[in-house]
Amino acid sequence: MYPDDCKYTKEHEWIRAEGGLYAVGITSFAAEQLGDVTYVDLPKPGKQVKQGESTAAVESVKAASDIYAPAGGRVVEVNTALGDAPELVNEGPFEAGWFFKLEGVDAAELSNLMDAKAYAAYVEAQH
Amino acid sequence: MRRTPLYDEHIALGGKVVDFHGWALPVQFAGILDEHHHTRSKAALFDCSHMGEFIVTGQDAVQAFSDLVCLDPFKIPIGRGKYGAILQEDGGIIDDVIAFRLGEFDLFVVTNAGPLDIVSKKLCAEQAKFASDSVLRDVSNDTAKIDIQGPIARDVLLSEIPECGSLKYYQARRAQWKGIDIVLARTGYTGEMGFELFVPNRIAVDLWRALLAYPNVKPAGLGARDTLRTEMCYGLSGQDFDTSRTPLEAAMASFIAWDKDFVGKQSLVAQRDSGNYAVLTPIKTADRRAPRHGFDVQHNGSVVGVVTSGTFGPSVGHGVGLAYLPQELLHPGTKLTAGPKELEIEVTSVPIYTAGTCRS
Repeated sequence: MYPDDCKYTKEHEWIRAEGGLYAVGITSFAAEQLGDVTYVDLPKPGKQVKQGESTAAVESVKAASDIYAPAGGRVVEVNTALGDAPELVNEGPFEAGWFFKLEGVDAAELSNLMDAKAYAAYVEAQH
Repeated sequence: MRRTPLYDEHIALGGKVVDFHGWALPVQFAGILDEHHHTRSKAALFDCSHMGEFIVTGQDAVQAFSDLVCLDPFKIPIGRGKYGAILQEDGGIIDDVIAFRLGEFDLFVVTNAGPLDIVSKKLCAEQAKFASDSVLRDVSNDTAKIDIQGPIARDVLLSEIPECGSLKYYQARRAQWKGIDIVLARTGYTGEMGFELFVPNRIAVDLWRALLAYPNVKPAGLGARDTLRTEMCYGLSGQDFDTSRTPLEAAMASFIAWDKDFVGKQSLVAQRDSGNYAVLTPIKTADRRAPRHGFDVQHNGSVVGVVTSGTFGPSVGHGVGLAYLPQELLHPGTKLTAGPKELEIEVTSVPIYTAGTCRS
């Protein structure tokens, strides 16, 4: 149900290694809870962030939420397609709906995140 | 949570049910944006059975109602509705209402779910005071309300209730569906052509299914209802105004009947004469970011007001909302900021979405 190649936060972000970088987005559960996404506020490339730092924001018809960096690093790429098509977050939260990519991530920081199985149990326990 | 007669229909249609003032109601079916655009382009059905309805018949009952509401029911042309509010002595808004005048001394009054207990107590207490042939009765528990809204709403409804064809915007009449008496009003909360159907609970499911069977009619939930009404700048009772706001503040000045008496009038007169009060005003953003309920509004570094409604406006493509602002800042084009991230907003004019078909 949730991709095995991602790690997950309690705030429903995912992070995945991709060609030396780490891509970050929100989970299908988060996207479903938000409903139709209408705006994504992305960080500026070059921004240095710490694990747990508010790095982006997502707005839906119903609500606005901050997106926290699942790990520290430097933002090197953002998904500019979300500017005109924020609905990509709902359509493919783990694919076309990614938010930003980090470099210089300390893999040790990922060890305190959940794997897919643990995240599924976490979501289940909340509902 | 209380359930409307249509609860099982909502579940069967995949509705996502939430608690709205103690009622289990669908916030969305296919998705808020889909339902919003469908309402603006075709027709949508909304279950509004949680709302309050009152029958007010006989001269004494109409007079008693008039004493409690800022609109003048005796001045409504027969067959039309009028918007107004029920106030406290201090002018605070208990609820907003629409009164439809169906006959000389025959009103059908529509109120909201949130303050219904208070409103019902207040109105029904009057019953003890007048002659037996006058009636002021809360019929909310027996009445379901289905709204059909959208450019094709009349074309659809004509096949079921031919009388709807003669109604102009804000007109209402008694009618029948399959031999059952209903009240039919050409009003709504979306800005689109449409009708509000007040029917006995026992026929709600049949009517809902009959209307949904037409091509291009889809169910819509509270989420789309909210984006649609916000684009039109229609205030929501309990959110944009409550007992802490007066009709002058809630931009209802043109709905106050100054030439008659009603509870709260003295306070309104004093406030009007002072001229010093904030007014509920439409605001917009330049991009897709939305102002949100509760955001402070700032001007030149100081807090000057508060946002009471805000969302992305799907039909206009930018953020839309309503905010209480001081009168010197009401001029359209005035630039302000809102919320912790100092979102840039601009005062605009009513309605924000201008292509609605409700009057066509």
